[in-house]
Amino acid sequence: MISDRPRVGVVKLASCDGCQLTLLDLEDQLLPIVGRFDLIEFPEATSLRSAGPYDVLLVEGAVSTPEQAEEIVQLRARSRLLVSIGACATAGGIQALRNWTDEPDWRATVYPEAEWIESLATATPVSEHVSVDAELRGCPIAPGQLLELLTALRIGRRPQLPAESVCLACKRRGNECVLVARGIPCLGPVTVAGCGALCPTFGRGCYACFGPREEANVSALHDWLAADRSTEEVDRLFAGFTAWSPPFREPAARAVAVAETHHPRKDEPDA
Amino acid sequence: MVTDAGFLPRADLDRLIGLLREGGRTVIGPTLDDGALVYAEIGSADDLPTGWTDDAAPGRYRLVRDGSERTFGLGPPPQGLKRYTFPSRAPLAVAERTADGAVSFTAAIPDPPRLAFLGVRPCEVAAMLVQDRVLAGGPFVDEDYRARRQASLVVAVACTRSGSTCFCASMGTGPEVTAGHDLAMTELDDGFVVSAGSRAGEQLLARLALPAITPDQHAAATAAVAGARAAQGRQVVTTGLRDRLMDQLDHPRWAEVAERCLACANCTMVCPTCFCTSTTLDSDLDGAATRMERRWDSCFTGDFARVAGGNFRPRRQDRYRQWLTHKFATWVDQFDSFGCVGCGRCITWCPVGIDVREELAAIAPPYEELPMAAPVVAGSTSAYSTAVVRSVAPETADTSTLALVPSDDALLAARPGQFVMVEQPGFPALPISVSRVADGALWLTIRAAGPATTAAIALRPGAQLGLRGPLGRGWDIQRAVGRDVVIVAGGIGLAPVRPIIDTVLRDREKFRHVILAYGARTPADRLYVSEMADWADRGMVVTEIVDRAGPDWLGRVGVVTHLLDQRDWHDRPATAFVVGPERMMEATVATLAERGVPRERIFVSLERHMQCGIGLCGHCQMGPFFVCRDGPCFAMSELGDLFGREGI
Amino acid sequence: MHEVEAAPEAVTEVGDVTRFAVKQLTRVEGEGRLDLAVRDGVVTQAHLEIFEAPRYFERIVVGRTPDEVIDIVARICGICPVAYQMSAVHAFEDLFGVAVDPQIRALRRLFYCGEWIESHALHVYLLHAPDFLGYPSAIELAADHGPVVERGLRLKKVGNDLVSLLGGRPIHPVSVRVGGFSRAPRRAELEPMRARLADALLEARETVRWVAGLEPPPYDRVPRLVSLVHPTEYPMNDGRIRSSDGIDVAPSAWTEAFEEQQVPWSNALQARARDGVPYLLGPTARVVLGGSTLHPEAAAALAETGLGDELQTNVFRSIVARGVELVHAIAEAIDIIDAYRRPSEPKVAWEARPGVAAWATEAPRGLLFHRYEVNEAGLVSRAQIVPPTSQNQRAIEHDLATFAPSVLELPHEEATHRLEQLIRSYDPCISCATHFLELKVDEG
Repeated sequence: MISDRPRVGVVKLASCDGCQLTLLDLEDQLLPIVGRFDLIEFPEATSLRSAGPYDVLLVEGAVSTPEQAEEIVQLRARSRLLVSIGACATAGGIQALRNWTDEPDWRATVYPEAEWIESLATATPVSEHVSVDAELRGCPIAPGQLLELLTALRIGRRPQLPAESVCLACKRRGNECVLVARGIPCLGPVTVAGCGALCPTFGRGCYACFGPREEANVSALHDWLAADRSTEEVDRLFAGFTAWSPPFREPAARAVAVAETHHPRKDEPDA
Repeated sequence: MVTDAGFLPRADLDRLIGLLREGGRTVIGPTLDDGALVYAEIGSADDLPTGWTDDAAPGRYRLVRDGSERTFGLGPPPQGLKRYTFPSRAPLAVAERTADGAVSFTAAIPDPPRLAFLGVRPCEVAAMLVQDRVLAGGPFVDEDYRARRQASLVVAVACTRSGSTCFCASMGTGPEVTAGHDLAMTELDDGFVVSAGSRAGEQLLARLALPAITPDQHAAATAAVAGARAAQGRQVVTTGLRDRLMDQLDHPRWAEVAERCLACANCTMVCPTCFCTSTTLDSDLDGAATRMERRWDSCFTGDFARVAGGNFRPRRQDRYRQWLTHKFATWVDQFDSFGCVGCGRCITWCPVGIDVREELAAIAPPYEELPMAAPVVAGSTSAYSTAVVRSVAPETADTSTLALVPSDDALLAARPGQFVMVEQPGFPALPISVSRVADGALWLTIRAAGPATTAAIALRPGAQLGLRGPLGRGWDIQRAVGRDVVIVAGGIGLAPVRPIIDTVLRDREKFRHVILAYGARTPADRLYVSEMADWADRGMVVTEIVDRAGPDWLGRVGVVTHLLDQRDWHDRPATAFVVGPERMMEATVATLAERGVPRERIFVSLERHMQCGIGLCGHCQMGPFFVCRDGPCFAMSELGDLFGREGI
Repeated sequence: MHEVEAAPEAVTEVGDVTRFAVKQLTRVEGEGRLDLAVRDGVVTQAHLEIFEAPRYFERIVVGRTPDEVIDIVARICGICPVAYQMSAVHAFEDLFGVAVDPQIRALRRLFYCGEWIESHALHVYLLHAPDFLGYPSAIELAADHGPVVERGLRLKKVGNDLVSLLGGRPIHPVSVRVGGFSRAPRRAELEPMRARLADALLEARETVRWVAGLEPPPYDRVPRLVSLVHPTEYPMNDGRIRSSDGIDVAPSAWTEAFEEQQVPWSNALQARARDGVPYLLGPTARVVLGGSTLHPEAAAALAETGLGDELQTNVFRSIVARGVELVHAIAEAIDIIDAYRRPSEPKVAWEARPGVAAWATEAPRGLLFHRYEVNEAGLVSRAQIVPPTSQNQRAIEHDLATFAPSVLELPHEEATHRLEQLIRSYDPCISCATHFLELKVDEG
């Protein structure tokens, strides 16, 4: 146990807010939680502010601006335990697809006056910048895992975060395999569990929003899937919300390269 | 129990379902749910998947409407009845801690639903019997499982069609229903042949009051199941499978299959016998109450073999090997059966189509069958027959080989390593190893070591004596196929191994290097000297050594283990056969073990005082063994540290 | 100690210029800041600066299939992912000529209702109400008004659970596909939800009574309102884009009446009507423009408040409109469940066609317009996403400038707080506003 009433911060970097919203989505547990944890910094939910120090800091989002790259170092220094939450903070998120591209060109697609935008060429996980004490995966994180993290912090045990594939959760639910029975490409075998096998339960293939599991055999699954469909199609499967995870990078990089060819080029820039 | 079988017309299937539902029992059977075949509640026969079949292949499965009238045309559903007998999640206990630190545990009390499983495939029934042994066979019992099993009825259906991934026939679990059912049905065009397999089943059958089946119906049912069997062929050779697999723990194929294997655990999740679980904790925020839950886990997951210091099976190849060797080898040691029932789910539902049948064939290929007769063992202390001496050939000053023509041809079926009891009227019976079977005669090499043996080698052609046998367990030469063969004999010990030499040289191409290391006291004590050149010509390296050389001995002098310094075999997996004085065998076994020959493949033949030869008189006991009946040939792994221990 | 309400980061007076600044707006989605300058009692600058990091969604979706785009654009916002999925799926289906099963169309409204319920309950109870009652957050509010906050959490949970029922999870649900859903629920799965919605309806009615009693700062102005309008359905997935002053275009034709434009004094794209008049989107606009299609339960709830007119003139009353829509979404959800029959297939087959896919639907915060160019390969080659917050921003800044003079006499801290409260009245969703970076209004 960290203290009787751990001081908790919840902050965000480049992200959609969904992971910190998950804390508010623990509706039944929310009031008991705020009774046991001191939420000293959580701008989305409270106007009370604190620069720390934090017993536990939950960080959402990817590091994608120069300001964030500095901020995360300072936050780390003020946090006893730093937990990155969600696919952006643990893997860079969907915006990490730009890591394989010409970022200024992307900027120019969205912003006519691109030079006014401050942005790093890459969007990267928190762990590429500072040491991280724990990670909650998922896009978004699973409410149950967040509650387990908080509970484990209170009890002083290691949080139970699965290292298994999505397939175990899928079969425990009694699902029929969508890949084998319907030929739907599914990344469940190489993806770490945590979501409860949502996608197969809803009749579609897993898109790896929890990221790769340990010993993920990406090439074997890729080869098998590519036997029935184009390599481009299979590559794109890996170019999702955890594409920057090392096991997925090779096919994701190819997918981004192909995707770039579909973008109508403006006139070639001046030499 | 064909004679007790009745015929249930298809239209009456609801009568059976109605009976099963009596008393609030829920009927669970195959049904289609959102286009997926599952075991779920069946209200009436309309819920059953009539007119459907499946097309299963490695990594691919499709339901196919075949338009037939068949109710049970589908193979095993994606997941088995394990969901009902051993749910994927089950409460174990609640642990509570009060504010003053007192701790209490409240175990979950099993509250099993009363279920009747209808339309259960034979492999599924067999799987339940396997899990019965694991989870309810003692000494410790999973109470929830036992309660669920006791509260369920099983109505099995024999298979009249085999899918491409089915291999129950190989595993001995189907396609017919043989055990574990309350009722068994075989589906014909217009109905079902139904028979009982338990008291409860008999009562149900009696209440159904079915007409007895006709001979035609019996024939049709038998033929349909035979057709399903024939369609499978023999896909997994189970003979010696346990040993074959455990011999291959270092096979390169483990790494190769791990290149394809996703370690996703689907095979274990869909396996109807896999029983591994983990306990998960669900605590309240204060840790005051923790609900403990048992969940299906798998030896393929990253945490399964993890401890604080690391992971005992960090690689996919470690995990695949663990799974395969458990299913087909170590399960046998633990539970006296294979952990596989041949349902084929692990093949069909492997997302990348890895086929366990292919992996077994590649990693642990079946031994090439050596052309040998089936073993025959005489069954009583009074099964004497007579034999006539055809010839007596002196081997050394005190040793001769008798060729005996038995009056009972069964004796000629003696396998290498077996022995016979030689009965001369007025003399005690002699246990003598068969040193060859040839030309309709049994060859016994006997050394004059006492009055009975002296009398035996003094017999002249045409003389008669009595024989009982063949007796005992011979050499497991199959274990040497495909390997180097090291035969080590001392003195008269060459006699019991000569049938090995004959067998190996007859099928020389099935073995790799074949080495004989023979030691004798003096050059004059050597047996079968005239044959050795022929053996060498036929592809055996013959090496010899003597304790004491005579004036014309140019060979090596010393103990037989010196011959094992030869370098042309021990860097490969070898199989060794050792016979001689016990001290010599001890030294040899130790040397072979040093050379890397696993104890599972070092075989010895033991000598003990024997009278009956069939484990009834008690003389030859050695630890748990009757050497005459359980041996005389043993693998060193069986003997453990009994071997070489004094006074046993 | 942190248990003080955060003071404005900087209240400075340099010469005769007073600045009000909040370094980071709280209880809003995303990261933005306020910078307002007043000279001689006149607002010279009203900046709502957004420092939310750019994520380039319009470029991320290039080279992707329509179904992939649906998954990707959900990630623009964790609070209203369904809205992004809805605008995208309608756009693609419109281009591809996909006609979905009527039950699927109804399920989509049910799905959207779930998001409205959770988003509105979140905003009303956890983000906005503390402003009216003087609390820094719902946490402190709960200490004094526990049952009220618990009611809000129950309502929010019903909305979240409804989205989960149809899409697997409340945030970034997984079931929306071009042509329908990847799975449609059985009727029996909806039954327990219907019972909970019936309870929630009573609590939503109670919510309207409660928020109607929250005293707003005085404010009076008549903005241009814009929303979808449909003859029989409350604004959500279908209808025409209309304004309170005559704009009337198809949901695919947003660009005919509106544009994204760069203004000389801003380094951000702004969505604006082509005539330059600021406009207000969201609950207030819908309740006013779509009032005739409000569910009788919601109409009754609104009538009971007697605030129908003040809704239009006082933006702080948006909390009442949000409450009324909470009633509507719950009541409509019940009706949809009652009429639901599971379709034989959850989705229909479709083929991609090249062309421009465009559509607008009503996110909880207002009109959300998507436009995609689909190429011969069936992949997106260009995208334009116009979230409600980037359309409301001109109205926000306009209101900041209009409202600020009325608080100048207050202590700086309280004045700044009021300005923040004004911004929160719009329920701004800053992560959504991927392409406006720094909004500046200089009324001087």
